[in-house]
Amino acid sequence: MGVLAAVLLLVTGVAIGYLVPNLRKPGDDSIDAGFARDMSTHHAQAVEMAMFAFRLGDSEHVRTLGYDIAASQQWQIGQMQTWLVEWHLSPTTSTRPMAWMPDGQNALQSDGRMPGMASKAELDKLKSSKGKNFDALWCQLMLRHHLGGIHMAEVAATKASDPEVRDAAEKMRVSQQYDISQLTELLKDLGAQPLSS
Amino acid sequence: MSMSTQHGGGNRKPSTKAVSGAKPKQGGDEDLEDASAVSDVDEIEDVVDETSSDETSESSDDEPKAPARPKAQPRKSAPARKTAPAGKRPGGSTRPVGKKIAPVKVKQGTSWGPIALFTTVGVLALGIIGFAGWQVYENGLSWQDRADRIEGIKDYRKTDKALVDQREHVWGPQTYNMKPPVAGNHNPNWQRCMGDVYTAPIATEHALHSLEHGAVWITYKPDLPADQVETLAKKVRGNDYMLMSPFADQDKAISMQAWGFQLKVDNASDPRIDEFVKALRQNASLEAGTPCSSGDVITETGSTPRDLGKDGGGTGMGN
Repeated sequence: MGVLAAVLLLVTGVAIGYLVPNLRKPGDDSIDAGFARDMSTHHAQAVEMAMFAFRLGDSEHVRTLGYDIAASQQWQIGQMQTWLVEWHLSPTTSTRPMAWMPDGQNALQSDGRMPGMASKAELDKLKSSKGKNFDALWCQLMLRHHLGGIHMAEVAATKASDPEVRDAAEKMRVSQQYDISQLTELLKDLGAQPLSS
Repeated sequence: MSMSTQHGGGNRKPSTKAVSGAKPKQGGDEDLEDASAVSDVDEIEDVVDETSSDETSESSDDEPKAPARPKAQPRKSAPARKTAPAGKRPGGSTRPVGKKIAPVKVKQGTSWGPIALFTTVGVLALGIIGFAGWQVYENGLSWQDRADRIEGIKDYRKTDKALVDQREHVWGPQTYNMKPPVAGNHNPNWQRCMGDVYTAPIATEHALHSLEHGAVWITYKPDLPADQVETLAKKVRGNDYMLMSPFADQDKAISMQAWGFQLKVDNASDPRIDEFVKALRQNASLEAGTPCSSGDVITETGSTPRDLGKDGGGTGMGN
């Protein structure tokens, strides 16, 4: 009887010990997973635009900032995708973007783009722009992009369950804040105004 | 009080000796000696101070002993539990033995309580193990396992390795046997696949390169009703690693492509479309981390590949 009890308790303990770390991983509909997926998508467009700047930027300042943003955000995409792999979650989901955010659905643009994301027409216009016009439009689009994404980082920095996610989100928020002041400064130098939304 | 506590800090060791030494004095003589003995204790604990003020000549015999014994017992019995040889008094050693015997007697009087408890624990354990097993199984499934579970999907990675290994970068138009293909040599430039909805045919040579990067390419017959095209477009727009375009030569209304995988369905409301996307988008990438955007972005439609950058030529950007 005592042996049986000991075995049962041991088995239960081992099972719980095995399960708890699994159950504590962020789930498919968690803030952590939603942030990792949506911020990856949001970042991907920032990388695309930053690579445009690296290639087509008129001033050295814009080219350098483009390089900076492309390299760092591509690294962050890898970081976020690695979380999803570690959590045994799919890198993508069939639910709508920002479903994990409070009131996230209403923040989407009319065609489903996340806040700050440029339209294809805007990107085409950017690619065909030259000189100071390119720099100004790029700063406008990138500024709006950062402002649209920073809210996601804010929510994840405070509400994600995984401390590593909260920490990374907070770092993204802070570094994007620095980019925002740089872009605002650049726009002022170029004599251009930020976009309305 | 402040004075006594100051003394108490310094006099702890001598005062405990005084207490043990006070026992014979208390049993022997007077209230005065008794009071002096208590005043030593007073410096250690205030509780004793209260008892000393309530003392009568009869109770004074019991009360100093009462605090003295609990103090002595834990101190002497505690080391006795830790190490057997340290037990100096026989009383300390006999008590643990008595405690060991007692539970055995309780067990002899077996009741249904422990049986019910162990049964409950056992059932719980089995439930937990079962749940854990199911979790392990589900979590252990690879994305390819999940894809292969979709009814009607074709997994060429399993059935035609020669096909899926064809992935050279080549200029100019290519011929493909499958319509649309899911693998094959392709153009160095990839079609932009960041949720792009192309309303005219695109070059397969570019689209295959997008599949290599992990994109899911949805194609549909040009005569697919507009509402179904919109249903498909909603699955694509805003989603990275997705693109769609009409494709005239396919045999079914809608065809789904990822590198090495294909699923053909008749209707845009078919739930397997979402299953295919969920299982394969990005997962099917042959080059993890390669983007759907880049410098030489192909966003134009037209079924002839655009050889941007060929022979050091134009990139299509900024020139």
